Amino acid sequence: MRETTFGRELRSTALKIAQRLFLDRSASFVLDELGTTRSLRELRARVVKVIDETPDIKTFVLEANRHWRGHRAGQYVTVDVELDGVRHRRCYSLTSASSDQSSRRLSIAVKRVPGGRVSTFLHERVRPGAVLNIGHASGDFVLDAVPSAASQSLLLLSGGSGVTPVLSILRDLDARDAVGDVVFVHHARRAIDVAFWAELLSISRRRPGLRLELCLDEGDDGSKGFTEEGLMALVPDYASRHTLLCGPSGLMARVERMWAQRGLTERLKLERFGSPTPLGSPTHDGPVKVRLTGPERTRLTSGRGSLLAQLEAVGERPAFGCRVGICHTCTCTKRSGTVMNLLTGLTSSRAGEAIQLCVSAAMSDLHLELQETT
Amino acid sequence: MKKQPEPTALTREQADALEKELDDLHRELKADLGQADVDHIRSVIRLSRASEIVGRLLLHFGLDPLTFVAGTSALALSKILENMEIGHNVMHGQYDWTLDPALDSRAYEWDLVCAGADWREYHNYEHHTFTNVLGKDRDVGYHYLRVTPEQPWRPMHLLQPLLATGLAFGFQWGIAMHGVKFPEKFEGQKTLTELHQRVVPFLRKAGWQLFKDYGFFPALALGNAPRVAIGNLLANVIRNLWTFCVIFCGHFPEGVTYYKEGEAKDESRGQWYARQINGSANIEGGSFFHLLTGHLSHQIEHHLFPDLPASRYPDLAPRIREICARYGQRYTTGPFGAQLGSVAKKLLRLALPQQGLTTA
Repeated sequence: MRETTFGRELRSTALKIAQRLFLDRSASFVLDELGTTRSLRELRARVVKVIDETPDIKTFVLEANRHWRGHRAGQYVTVDVELDGVRHRRCYSLTSASSDQSSRRLSIAVKRVPGGRVSTFLHERVRPGAVLNIGHASGDFVLDAVPSAASQSLLLLSGGSGVTPVLSILRDLDARDAVGDVVFVHHARRAIDVAFWAELLSISRRRPGLRLELCLDEGDDGSKGFTEEGLMALVPDYASRHTLLCGPSGLMARVERMWAQRGLTERLKLERFGSPTPLGSPTHDGPVKVRLTGPERTRLTSGRGSLLAQLEAVGERPAFGCRVGICHTCTCTKRSGTVMNLLTGLTSSRAGEAIQLCVSAAMSDLHLELQETT
Repeated sequence: MKKQPEPTALTREQADALEKELDDLHRELKADLGQADVDHIRSVIRLSRASEIVGRLLLHFGLDPLTFVAGTSALALSKILENMEIGHNVMHGQYDWTLDPALDSRAYEWDLVCAGADWREYHNYEHHTFTNVLGKDRDVGYHYLRVTPEQPWRPMHLLQPLLATGLAFGFQWGIAMHGVKFPEKFEGQKTLTELHQRVVPFLRKAGWQLFKDYGFFPALALGNAPRVAIGNLLANVIRNLWTFCVIFCGHFPEGVTYYKEGEAKDESRGQWYARQINGSANIEGGSFFHLLTGHLSHQIEHHLFPDLPASRYPDLAPRIREICARYGQRYTTGPFGAQLGSVAKKLLRLALPQQGLTTA
C-alpha cells in the first residue's frame, strides 16, 4: 500500500518527536529484545531461505522491513555482520529483479572468499530466521542508465561471481517481457563453479532473443577462458552493442583495454568487485601533511597508498565500511589539496568535493573535514 | 588519611620510559577489545532501559507511597546508568570501534539537559587535554569554586560552601551552563553571537528534557500527574547528587596536583600521562559501586586511557598502580566517604582568603 506524502511527513514528524522523548530508545530496545525485523530507524531483513548455488556461492532470500525503498536490477546492498563485537560491512549484488517499496522480497548472492570473515560467517552461521542489518540499494550498474537499452542489442559479459548483477538484470528483463537481442557470455573456471546456469537456460528457452555462451578455463572442448579473439568470434557485432561487464579484475582489465583500443569505452558499463589493484604507486613522493577540521589538528602521513590507511596509521579513526571504494561510509569533504582516485587514476583538486578516503591517495598536502572520534 | 609524598618530577628520559610503558599497555588493551566489551555495555543498556520502564510503570499506575519510592528509585537508577556508564563512556568514543550506530560517540544523545555536542567539545577536548591546568581546564572548580590555593581568592568564594551545595542539587544545569560558557559571557570573554550559537542547542535540549519529565509523562498519567512529576523531579535530583559527588571526588580531593599554564606547555606524551595521574583521584568500592559511577571511580585510569571501555579500568588499576609506584607518581585513592569529606573540607577551607596557603 502506498502512503500519501502527507501521511509520510506526519509519520516522520511524529517519529522525530518520539526520538526526542527517548521513547525510541525504549521502543527499539523492546523490539530488539523480541528479535524482530521491525525497527523504528534501521533497515533490517529476515533471511527466509538459503540456497546452495555452487560449492562456494549461496543465495540468501531476504524479507526487508518497511524501510526498504526498493531497488533496480544490477544494484547491490551492504550487509552488516557483527564479529567479535565489531560490525563488518560488505557489499553483495542483488540477484532479484527490480523491486519497489511494496515488494520487500529480495535476494543476494554471497561467494565464500577463502579467509573472508564475513562471507564465511554468512555461509556457516546464517540460517533462515536470522535478522541482518542491510543498507539501501545503490550502484549504477543498471540498465535504465544505458539509453533505451531494452530495445537495443545488449552484450552481457561476466566472469565468476560477476554473474550475480547480470542475473538480476536478466531476471528483470524477463519479468518485464523486455528481453530483446541479448548475448550473455559468462566465464568460469570449471563447470561446477557456474552458478544460476539452469535458471539462465530456462530463461533462454522462453526468450528466443537471449543467447547464452559459456567459456570455461578448463573446458572439455579445450577452450581457454577469455580471449579477445574468442569473444570476437562469439559476438562478431560486439561493437554495435551496449555492453555490461562484471567479473574478476584481470578479465575486466582486458575487456576495458579491448574496448578502449576500438574507441568503444562509452558503450561499456562496468561493476567492480573486491579490492582494486592500485595503479602503481601514483602518489606524491615523501610525507604529506594532512590538516583536519572538526576539531582542528594536523597529521603527518607517509604519503603512500590510500588516505584511509594513512590516517589510521597516524592514529585517526575515520568511519569506514568496505575499504574498496564501494560503500561511501568513509566519504568526507576535502577543503583543499589534490587527490588521486586509485580506482580511476583521475586526479582532482576541486575545493569542497566529497572524496572516499579508502580509494583516494594524497598528491599534495590536504585539508579535510573529518570528525575526531576519540 | 595517610599522606602520600609529593610526586617525583620526572626527567625527560623517565617521562619517555613512562610513555612507552603506558603506550604499550594501551595497545595491548586495544587489541584485546571484543565481544565481551560489547556484551557488557549492551547488558547495562538493557538494565537501564528495563529499570526506566519499571520505574515509569510504578510511578504512573501506583497509588501508594511504597510504589512511589520504588518507582522513583528505579527511574533514578536508570538515569544514573544512562548518564554515567552509557552516556559518558559512549560519548567518549569508547565503543566507536564496534561501528554500531547505537554506540556511536558522534550520534549519541544523553538523558541530560546538557547538549551532547557542547559536552563532547569541552569535556573530551578541553578537560581531557588540559586536565588540571589552571586557566585552561575550565573544570577546575567550574569557574566559581576555589579548589586550590593557587587560584586567587575572591570575596565571592566566601559563598562557595553554599554554591557547591546548590550545584550538587542542580548538577545537570551546572554542567549545561558550563557547556554554554555563561560565566565567560558575563565577564565579557565571549561575544553575543558566540553565546547565541551555544544557547540555542542548549535551550532546545533543555526544553525537551523539561517537556518530557514535567509535561509529557505527567500528562500521560492523567490523575496521577503530580505524583509522576514529583517522581521525575526526585529521580533527577538523586542523579544530580550522585554525579556531583562522583565527579567532585575525581579531581578535587586532597592530594591532587594542579598545574600552572606554563607547566603543561610543550610537554611530551609521557609528561601528559604523568599529569593525568597526579591530577586525578580514584574512589575505592565494590563492582556495583564502580558501575554506578560509570567507572569514574577509576578516574586515573580513565584519564590515562579515556577511549578504552571503562569496564576495563578495575582490571587495569593494579598495573597502573604498580607503574605509578615505580615512577614515584601519586596514585590518590580512598573510600567514597573519605574522599567526599576531603573535598568538603577543602571547599570550606579555601572559602577563606588566607587559609590553606599551602601547609603541605
